[in-house]
Amino acid sequence: MQCFILFPIMRILVCIKQVCDSESPIQIDDHARWIQTDAITGYKMNRLDEFAVEEAVLLKEAYPGTSIDAITVGPDRSAEVIKRAIGMGADHGVHIISQPEGYLNPFTIASSIADYARDKHYTLILTGVMSEDQMQGQVGPMIAACLSLPWATTVIRQQIAPDNKSIYAEREIEGGSRDTLQLQLPAVLTIQSGINTPRYPSLSNLLRANKQKLETFQAGDFVQPVLRERIVRVVYPEKSRSGTFLTGTQQEKATRLLKLLRDRALLQ
Amino acid sequence: MKQTIVVIVEHFNGQIKPVTHELVGFAKRLQQNSASAIKVVILDDDPSALAREMADTWGLEVTAIQIPGLTSYNGEIYKSVLADLLREFKAVYVCTAHSSQGMDFAPALSVKLNAACITGVEAILEVENRTCFARSIFGAKAVAHVRPESDISILTIQPGMFRPQKPHKPVSGSVTIRSFKSESLKTRSMGMKPAEADMTGITEAGVIISAGQGLGDKENVDLIYQLAALFTKSAVAGSRIVCDLGWLEYRCQVGVTGATVSPQLYIACGISGAVQHVTGMRNSEYIVAINKDPAAAIFQVADICIVEDLTTFIPAFIEVYEKTKSNGL
Repeated sequence: MQCFILFPIMRILVCIKQVCDSESPIQIDDHARWIQTDAITGYKMNRLDEFAVEEAVLLKEAYPGTSIDAITVGPDRSAEVIKRAIGMGADHGVHIISQPEGYLNPFTIASSIADYARDKHYTLILTGVMSEDQMQGQVGPMIAACLSLPWATTVIRQQIAPDNKSIYAEREIEGGSRDTLQLQLPAVLTIQSGINTPRYPSLSNLLRANKQKLETFQAGDFVQPVLRERIVRVVYPEKSRSGTFLTGTQQEKATRLLKLLRDRALLQ
Repeated sequence: MKQTIVVIVEHFNGQIKPVTHELVGFAKRLQQNSASAIKVVILDDDPSALAREMADTWGLEVTAIQIPGLTSYNGEIYKSVLADLLREFKAVYVCTAHSSQGMDFAPALSVKLNAACITGVEAILEVENRTCFARSIFGAKAVAHVRPESDISILTIQPGMFRPQKPHKPVSGSVTIRSFKSESLKTRSMGMKPAEADMTGITEAGVIISAGQGLGDKENVDLIYQLAALFTKSAVAGSRIVCDLGWLEYRCQVGVTGATVSPQLYIACGISGAVQHVTGMRNSEYIVAINKDPAAAIFQVADICIVEDLTTFIPAFIEVYEKTKSNGL
């Protein structure tokens, strides 16, 4: 029997991270080794990863037959972000359960994900440009290097070529210019914010997410690489300017600010 | 051969980018902690003129890698060419910019070299007699001191943190040109597209009123415009997230992927102060920050800090302004 494939059958892996709420207070622990995790008020999906999940779901809508796996490396609580990704339209969730709390090195994360992905024949691996908490932006290109795949970071537009063998990508660079490339598939892209508008999870998908069993691994199931760098101390930032805090009631602060601006002839 | 500190030149359209000189400033600062020589490396289709410029400006040894067809940055080529070269140079530290380019290849290169990878470096320090690097975490509410545990470290340096002090009349450094045939098998550059947004509005303004996510709602953008209306030569801007949310257009964006501004007055309203934004406005003459979170990182770079909810503070400020104006005060 002859088989006609009208659409490329794609397998997409989208890598996401759970981070603390941006409004959450950050307090450094007594030994200045890390932050006090019990002072964190809440967790959510890394905002920049939402764009990667949305881009995967848009590809799935454009190319029926596409399947999306969402993967995270993190403690037990991070299963929530996998559920959210399924709620947004991912098909399957993978959770590599790490140590309970504390800092996870990007190379450790990348090599676990690469190990998981190695024999899975993904067409595309997507992730956010960086995480909001650590802001390193390393995991995406590291996964690419571990798997010897081409990669592009800060992708603001992508288009799969008609022959399904390559992908066109526009990288957003300084000042909003774009560097355009063509990558052979499979490839790794880190998705820039603003490329799309991430959807809210749908109720039916969330119900499915709650019923669906996640594929889980322990971090030790994968090779744990030797650390190449280590956080030795965490401190509060130093002020770069003398920053005067205005005091008093709101009205008093407004009056004071007005005087400061008038004294500097910035306001009439 | 002696160990080296290697600076990777960032260049664009036949021009050395200013951040490259900051990288040399950083490397010189790093040299005080280690007895290594600084080597400058540039990759291009035709690198000789820029290599000469670096050697003349800094009096440093420059290696120009001539790669036929490399007319713009290509991550795959950078990774493979630099991996071999850095091993040969016995590089201990590799200094690249924390830019769209450095952030693209540094992590991949570190995998290839089993190197430490520390991105967004803002300071060099010593902890227990070992060189460490400071970088912001948690939206710049904390700073991590990171120590390399590998013989080689790839660093991406935050722009604007290390002022280069160019030597007065240096003895020109040597330029070695080497040809490399490197074909990118999987990544093909398709050229550059200029920015779509016209940012002259905010780069030329004397006063910038800038909005962050703390605005809370699109409707509150109006408050920002009302505040801006009090000033002459003012413009409204915002952080990237505000543009992502559709509250302002991308041409209003200040920060790494937007405009870099240095007005006389910058009022940051509800802006958290993440590094990506601060990079674009750090050099403003006078910075006022309004944020209801007293721990917001924006207060670290501000001259005047106001812990208030901007949705009530801005109307209060406008009211006081109107009142004192009509009284002729």
